[in-house]
Amino acid sequence: MRRSPSLLWLLSPRLLAARGALRRGRAKSILLGALAAVCWVGCLVGFERVLAYFQTITALGPILTERLLVLIFVSFFAVLVLSNVVTALTTFYGAPEVNVLLAAPLATRRLHQVRFIESLVASSWMALFFGLPAFVAYGVVYRAGAVFYLAVVATLVPFLVIPAALGVVAATAIVLAFRARRARDVLLVASPTLAAAAYLAIRLLRPESLASPSGLAGFAAFLADVGAPSPWLPTTWASAILIPLLGVRPGQPLFHLGLLASTAAVCYLGSAALVERVFLRAWSRAQEGETGGGQERLLSRVLPALTAPLGRPASLLLAKDLAVFLRDPGQWSQLVVLLALVVVYVYNFSVLPVDDGSPLAATMREVGALFNLGLTAFVTTSVAVRFVYPAPSLEGRSWWVLRTAPIPLTTIWWSKFTIGFLPLAVLGEGLVAVTNRFLGVPPGLTAVFMATLLLVIATIVSLGIAFGAAYPRFDAVNPAQIATSFGAVLYMILCLGLIAVVVALEAWPVSRLFWHRLAHGPLAGGEPALIAAAFGAVVVVTGAAFVAGRRAGLRHLAALEP
Amino acid sequence: MIRFVRLRKEYGTTVAVADLDCTIESGAVFGFIGPNGAGKTTTIRIMAGLLAPTAGTVLLGGHDIGREPEAAKAITGYLPDHPFLYDKLTALEFLRFAGGLYGLGGNELERRAAELLAQFGLAERATDLTETYSHGMKQRLALAAALVHRPSILVLDEPMVGLDPQGAVALRRLLVELSARGVTIFLSTHSLNVAEALCDRIGILDRGRLVALGSLAELRTRAAARLDPLEGNGSLESVFLAITGAA
Repeated sequence: MRRSPSLLWLLSPRLLAARGALRRGRAKSILLGALAAVCWVGCLVGFERVLAYFQTITALGPILTERLLVLIFVSFFAVLVLSNVVTALTTFYGAPEVNVLLAAPLATRRLHQVRFIESLVASSWMALFFGLPAFVAYGVVYRAGAVFYLAVVATLVPFLVIPAALGVVAATAIVLAFRARRARDVLLVASPTLAAAAYLAIRLLRPESLASPSGLAGFAAFLADVGAPSPWLPTTWASAILIPLLGVRPGQPLFHLGLLASTAAVCYLGSAALVERVFLRAWSRAQEGETGGGQERLLSRVLPALTAPLGRPASLLLAKDLAVFLRDPGQWSQLVVLLALVVVYVYNFSVLPVDDGSPLAATMREVGALFNLGLTAFVTTSVAVRFVYPAPSLEGRSWWVLRTAPIPLTTIWWSKFTIGFLPLAVLGEGLVAVTNRFLGVPPGLTAVFMATLLLVIATIVSLGIAFGAAYPRFDAVNPAQIATSFGAVLYMILCLGLIAVVVALEAWPVSRLFWHRLAHGPLAGGEPALIAAAFGAVVVVTGAAFVAGRRAGLRHLAALEP
Repeated sequence: MIRFVRLRKEYGTTVAVADLDCTIESGAVFGFIGPNGAGKTTTIRIMAGLLAPTAGTVLLGGHDIGREPEAAKAITGYLPDHPFLYDKLTALEFLRFAGGLYGLGGNELERRAAELLAQFGLAERATDLTETYSHGMKQRLALAAALVHRPSILVLDEPMVGLDPQGAVALRRLLVELSARGVTIFLSTHSLNVAEALCDRIGILDRGRLVALGSLAELRTRAAARLDPLEGNGSLESVFLAITGAA
C-alpha cells in the first residue's frame, strides 16, 4: 500500500534550499551573523540593565519584573499575529509550490501540516531570535537554573503556535472574503499603516517625559501605571509560567503551561479543521484575478501628460514606474510609514528647547544643526532603501523589455536616477529647511547644509541603483522584503559611512562659521582657506562615490539577468 | 539579414555556444532547433542584446549588436521564451510603452496599438491589467509588442508555447505573411512540425555547436546514411534524431 510522504520529506525542498543558500553565501552569512550578534548582545545588555534596576526597587520590583515580561509577550504576540497573517496568505494561498502539493496524492491535513510549519518558521524566527536575549537576561539576572531555560522553550513552542494558527484562520477568511490579490493588497496597506499609527501614537505620548534624573525610574513608573494583565490571555499565562521559576513570586507554572499548551492545540486543530474543509475553495478563489470594466484607466491618460515635459525616454519610464507604483499597494503603502517618519522627525525638532537664549541652547542649536544634516541624510537613506534600492529588482523579469529596446543603458540609468533623486531631494531639502528653522540656524548655514545634502542625496541614489542591481531580488513578493535583504543592509551601512564622513568633514567649518556668525567677529587668518578645503573635500568625496556608484550601477545593470 | 560571426559564449568551463558562423538572408524564416540545453536561448539572448558574448558577434541588418546595439535593436522585434510583462500595466499601456521605446508616438502609435490588439484578439481586454492575463494572452501581447515598431528582423524564442490551436495557426499565418513582406524571422522551437511547415532553412544546434544547416531537403540528404530505415521517414523529426544521434 502507498505510504503518505513524511513531514520531513515534504519539508526537505525548503531545508535543502536553506542549506544551499548558506553554503553559497558563506561571507554573507558571516556578515549577517556578526550584525545579528551585535544586535543580540545589545538587547541582552539592555534587558539586563533594566532587570537589575528593578531588583533594587524592593516593594515594586517583582511587579515590574512581571509586567515587563507580560509586555514582552504582548508585543511579541501582536507582531506575530500580523506577521503570521501576511505569511500564511503567501504560504497557503500564494506560493507556486502549493500547486505541486495539491496535485500530489496528499491529504489536505498533511498539506496543512507542511504549510503550517513553513508559515510558523518564516514568520516567527526573527521575533524569536531577537526576543531570546530578553529571556536570557531574565535567567542571568535572577540566576535561574536549567529548569527555567527548559521552561522558556516549553513556553515558546505553544506560544508561537497560537498566532500561527490564528494567522492561518485569518488568511483563509480573508481569501474567502476577497480575492487573494485584493486580500494581499489589504494587508500590504494595513501592516505599514498599523506600524505607522503605533509609531505616531508612541511618539505623541511623549515618552521623553518618562525620563528623569534617576535614569530608569521613569520607565518603572510607566510600567507600574500599566494595568494588571488579563488572566484570560496567553501572554499572561506565558509570563505566569516563567515568573515563579525565577523566584520572583510563587505560582502554578504547570497549570499555566497546561492552559497555554491546550489553547495552542485547540488553535492548531481549529486551523487544520478549517483548512481541511475549505482549502480547495479558498485556493481556487485565490487564483481569480480582477478584470476591469473596459474603460481606459485614469492613470493611462494623466501620467503621460504629466511626465511629457521630461522628454523621451525619461517620460515613458517615469510614467510606467509611476503607474506600477500607484497600482501596487506593496509599494505605495510604504509612503504611510515614510509620512509617519517625517511627521515625527519634524515634531522632534519642534519640541527641542533651543529658544531660551542660554549658552546651552546656543550649543544645542549648533550641535543640533550638524546632527540635523546627518539625520536628514539618514532619513533620506532609509527612504532610498525603500524606494530606490528595490527599483532594479522591481523591474524584475520584465527587464528584457527595456534591455531589448534601442535605448542606451546610460539613458535607462539616468531615468532611474532622476526618478529616485527628484522626490528624495524635495524631501531632504524640505526637512533641512523646516527643521533648521525650528533650530534657529542662520539662513546662510542652512543653504550650506542644503547644498551638501543635495550632493549626498545624489550619491545615495547612485549607490542605491548600484547595490539594487548588484543584489537583485526577483523572487520577492513584497518590496519591503527587498528593502530588508542582505544587499540593502550593505547599502545602508555604506551610506551611513558616507554620511559620517561628510558630517565629520563639515563639523569643524560649520562650527567656525556658526560662532563667527554669533560673535560677529572675523575668521582667523588661515580659517577661510581651511573651511573652503573642508567643503571641497565634501565635494570630492561625494563626487567620487557618485561616479563609483554610477559605474558600478551601469556594470551591474548590464549584467542583470532575471 | 542576420549574420553570426564566430559567436561564442562560455559560462566558466561550459561552452554554451561554440563559434557559431552562419548567415540568414532577408525575408527568410530560419528555424533554430536542438535538444534542451543546446544553447538556443543563449544565442537568442545574445541576439537580443540581453547577454554579452565571450567572443564573436551577431550582425542584425548589418548592425553589430555589440558595437551599435541601439541601431541593431531598433530594427529587431524580440519575443522571449517566458514573456514576463509589467503586471500592473494594462495591455494598451504596455503596447504604448513598448512603442514609445522604439520612438513611436501620437496617433500613429494609438492606431498601431489598436490594430495589434485587434489582430491578437486582445481588444476586449485591452484595459485590464496584464496580471489578470493567461499565459497564452501574455504570449500574444508580448508578440504584439515585438511587432509594434514594424521590425525588419523578428527573433522568437519558442513562440508557440502557451498558444491555443487557433493562436498557433494564426501565428503561423502571420509569420508567413511577414516573411513575404521581407521580414527576416529567426525562431527557436521544439515543435519540429512548426519548423518543418514554416522554415526555409533550419539550423540544428547540439551542445553549442551548429551540427547541421540547410533546407529540410538538404538536411535529409545529409542525414540519409544515418536514418533508421524502419523509423526514418524523412520527416524533420527523424532527420533531427539522426543528426543529433538521439535516435
